[in-house]
Amino acid sequence: MRSSRRILIFTIALLLILVAAHSNTSTYLRADEIQPRFNQAITQVRLAESAGATQSEITELLTTLNKALDLNEQALKLTSPNEAQRRAELLTQVNAMLNDVQRRASALEAVASQRTRTNTVLAYVYGGIAAAVGTFAYASLFAFYRRYRIKRTLQMKVTPK
Amino acid sequence: MSLVSSRDKRNLIVVFITLLVVFEMIAYVATTPRPREQFFQLYVLGSKRMAADYYPNNKPDISRGETVTWYLGATNSMGNVQLAEVRVKLGNQTINPPDDQQALPSPAPLVTEFKRFTQDNETWEFPFVWSVTNVRFANNSAQILEFEINGETFQVVDCSARSGYNFRLIFELWTWDTGMGAFQFGWVTGGEHRVAWLQIWFNATQAR
Repeated sequence: MRSSRRILIFTIALLLILVAAHSNTSTYLRADEIQPRFNQAITQVRLAESAGATQSEITELLTTLNKALDLNEQALKLTSPNEAQRRAELLTQVNAMLNDVQRRASALEAVASQRTRTNTVLAYVYGGIAAAVGTFAYASLFAFYRRYRIKRTLQMKVTPK
Repeated sequence: MSLVSSRDKRNLIVVFITLLVVFEMIAYVATTPRPREQFFQLYVLGSKRMAADYYPNNKPDISRGETVTWYLGATNSMGNVQLAEVRVKLGNQTINPPDDQQALPSPAPLVTEFKRFTQDNETWEFPFVWSVTNVRFANNSAQILEFEINGETFQVVDCSARSGYNFRLIFELWTWDTGMGAFQFGWVTGGEHRVAWLQIWFNATQAR
């Protein structure tokens, strides 16, 4: 009777340990899972950059990315088993930062591409306006010059030889 | 009777079209990014941030515990954001340096590495303060076992030099290849693989 109770308690304890271990591994990321996340982040930042994001907008993203890189380096240096918890926390923090960068880069890409499109259209429209203004200026100058020539012609004194 | 003759109208149309073509070309040039050469620069400066004073007392003999200050820098001119890495390796006279033609890194043992995300036209410069903290002298040969770099200790595996002469620190520039999802030695531009690396020689001497 007593031994069966012991077995039951041992089994429950074992199950609890397994559940705790599983929740640890599922909550925290491993170092090798972070690497592809960096790849996704840099790809997304490059997309935002090629869409026309400004240097200062990119700087903000890179500041976060460099912080994530530093934390990742710190995490990789924690190798002893008693530092596993701290390491897992750092990797989770890195993951959150990378998620944040990706989200912001994605939003920035949309804004930047819209801005670039608007700027491009505006540049061509301004080109047309400049051509119209130039033509008007040319026509005005030409009309002024013609009037001046007519006036000068009418002011001519004709003297017989 | 019209105030503007048909000849004048024709002239104005010609002027307008000419100006339109000119201004639209300017708009096109202004809004289209120009292709440019993509490259990285890698440099090492001495203790006074100049291309001089690389060694204390201007001699390449570095004794155990003697601190040497350099500045490492990399300039990103790739036209986009790059994840750059500078790998520091310890070589001797016989270990091959990186191969420029084949774009192969040096097989010398890795001491440490520095990584950073850089944006276009950004120069990433950082101090590289190092000292040899453990070196074994035996049988007319010196084997460097440990370095201290920027306050951190790094072990070195298997690199020795006769009488401690002609060690070298090799700096290789690696960049992140998003296609491979890994670092590559150098970078690829216009279908060509280019590399950037530097080396500085020194001698490991017995403590004075």
